Amino acid sequence: MVLQINQLTGGYSKTPVIRDISFNIEAGEIVGLIGLNGAGKSTTIKHILGLLRPHSGEIRVGGMTAEMDIEAYRRQLAYIPESPVLYEELTLREHIQMTAMAYGIDEATALERSERLLEIFRLETKVDMFPTHFSKGMKQKVMLICAFLSHPDLYIIDEPFLGLDPLGIESLINLMVEEKHKGRSILMSTHILATAERYCDRFAIIDDGRLIAFGSLDALRSEFNMPGATLDEVYLRITGGGIQNV
Amino acid sequence: MSDQLFRSRLNEDIARRSYYGKFIFNSHFLIFLTITAGFFLYSLLSLLETLEPTLWLDVIAAFLVSILLIPAYRTLLKEADGVFLLPYEAKFGKYLSAADRYSLTLGIIKPLIGGTIAVLLLTVGHGLVEIITFIAGAIIFYVMNFHIKKAVVNSRLSTPWMMAGLIGLSFISLMLIVQSPFWLLPAVAVYWVALVYARRTSHPRLDWNAMIDYEASQLNSYYRNVALFTNVSHIDKQFKRRRYLDPFLWQPKGRAFSKEKMYEYLFYRTFARSHDLPMIILRLILLFGIVMVWIGNLYFSIIIVLFGIYIIVLQMSQIYTAQAYLLWPKVWPVDRGFIQKSYVDYSHKLVLVISVLFSLIFLGIHYEYFFLVILFPLWGYFINRSLSRTVYRKEKELSD
Repeated sequence: MVLQINQLTGGYSKTPVIRDISFNIEAGEIVGLIGLNGAGKSTTIKHILGLLRPHSGEIRVGGMTAEMDIEAYRRQLAYIPESPVLYEELTLREHIQMTAMAYGIDEATALERSERLLEIFRLETKVDMFPTHFSKGMKQKVMLICAFLSHPDLYIIDEPFLGLDPLGIESLINLMVEEKHKGRSILMSTHILATAERYCDRFAIIDDGRLIAFGSLDALRSEFNMPGATLDEVYLRITGGGIQNV
Repeated sequence: MSDQLFRSRLNEDIARRSYYGKFIFNSHFLIFLTITAGFFLYSLLSLLETLEPTLWLDVIAAFLVSILLIPAYRTLLKEADGVFLLPYEAKFGKYLSAADRYSLTLGIIKPLIGGTIAVLLLTVGHGLVEIITFIAGAIIFYVMNFHIKKAVVNSRLSTPWMMAGLIGLSFISLMLIVQSPFWLLPAVAVYWVALVYARRTSHPRLDWNAMIDYEASQLNSYYRNVALFTNVSHIDKQFKRRRYLDPFLWQPKGRAFSKEKMYEYLFYRTFARSHDLPMIILRLILLFGIVMVWIGNLYFSIIIVLFGIYIIVLQMSQIYTAQAYLLWPKVWPVDRGFIQKSYVDYSHKLVLVISVLFSLIFLGIHYEYFFLVILFPLWGYFINRSLSRTVYRKEKELSD
């Protein structure tokens, strides 16, 4: 089990944003984290990253909690935030080098891995530029390159397709599938349900801070008695179309 | 409505200035300022008694005043104004008039001080009429510079070129006025032509984007000045690529390519590419060096070097604060203790270089007291250690 979340309750202050959330991710699995704006997806992700302390419950990555050894815990994770977060004073090459140093990757290996990723995302001619001067999509590609460089057990990707051009989306999906086949896992928060339906093995649907469904599309269809339904249809039925949140 | 809006923003700006003023003009700095001003005035008055009339005194006086004669232009506009105030543009005159009055009074202290020094210098070899015309010209140019600057900000003309042009124009005009007061009229005429030209190229209405961007840059520049003395959390960081420095930046190889050294790698780049930090440090060293040469007193030189090192070390700690609170150090599998350790390694090296530069200036003036230079790196080391600990403690308290 790569990720195991047991009865997680937590949030930014004493008032919980998410309550009693439990799900897991197996090796080589892509799991979609689905929910409306404000449902608690980002809070769940921040708890997994160890940026927030759970009020109760437990999170294990590779069988280890953050309290056991935060460095070893985080070494198994790579995170791609929804909005690119970059060092304004570093070039693309230097971002790659910083990531490599952080994950204990030697220079030659980092160079070898990054060359391929730069080619995939068509940024090989921009390595000595400041990424902060790039377009939003290009900045997102920098985040992707840094994350895929580290070869972690679990990728946590918040809205991966936001700002990417169609070629970038295709390259990312190919990379995700490739990593999955290598036994690495991905937790992907997204609103693009059609893409999630095609590539995710299971879905964790969060609404108003609670996990209201978890399973494969077939499992969700049978649980809610919607044979042949798309993920969009299942999602709208489960959440009541978001009407209760209005 | 628009003047009420300006009043509320004016109060906000005054509150901001008084808040940071408390940090800048603390008791230590006020003592330092009083000692420096006293030394400076004493030596200037002593010098004036011995000086003979020369054109160079006029050059110094005119240059000193001309670089201080461009008022700030603070509209206090905010980003959202470009959307929400657009329908009120026609009724925005009162707001802008109030902004004009505020801008003209805001930076008046600098030309007043510069003007006083210039007048003292002009008393050597010039009569009352020339001095009064010089003062009158300076006041007129101050107001004209403001109106030209205002028009240029609302146009496509380059603001830095305008600033350089106005400094040049003020300098030439003041130089000529000192030689003969009759030059005042032609100088005002040239200013008038420049103003008409600037207004003709100005946007017919308000160029909201340009005005808002300019105000943001002015506010950021204010914060950067404040950051010389205290931490300013919401300052916009700006960096320059400075590709020519790349060969000098440390590149970790082999075993140094590791998480232990990654933040040191980052800190050198943050410093070298910071928009203003290296230039501020350089300017401070030069300024303090000039003052040391001017005063030429041993005790004063020691005080100024110690103060210079203190203020530079205070400046440098911003880099640590900026990096420690970013997302990645919290996400990467790297012990946060490495940020502190790397900052210690980086900052002690940099402080040593700065102390050596100050020591060289000191040796140039007081070479017979060469043994005293040992004080400077030691002071730099201890002050850096002490200030860094305060920053670490604050960070720890916040992260807990």
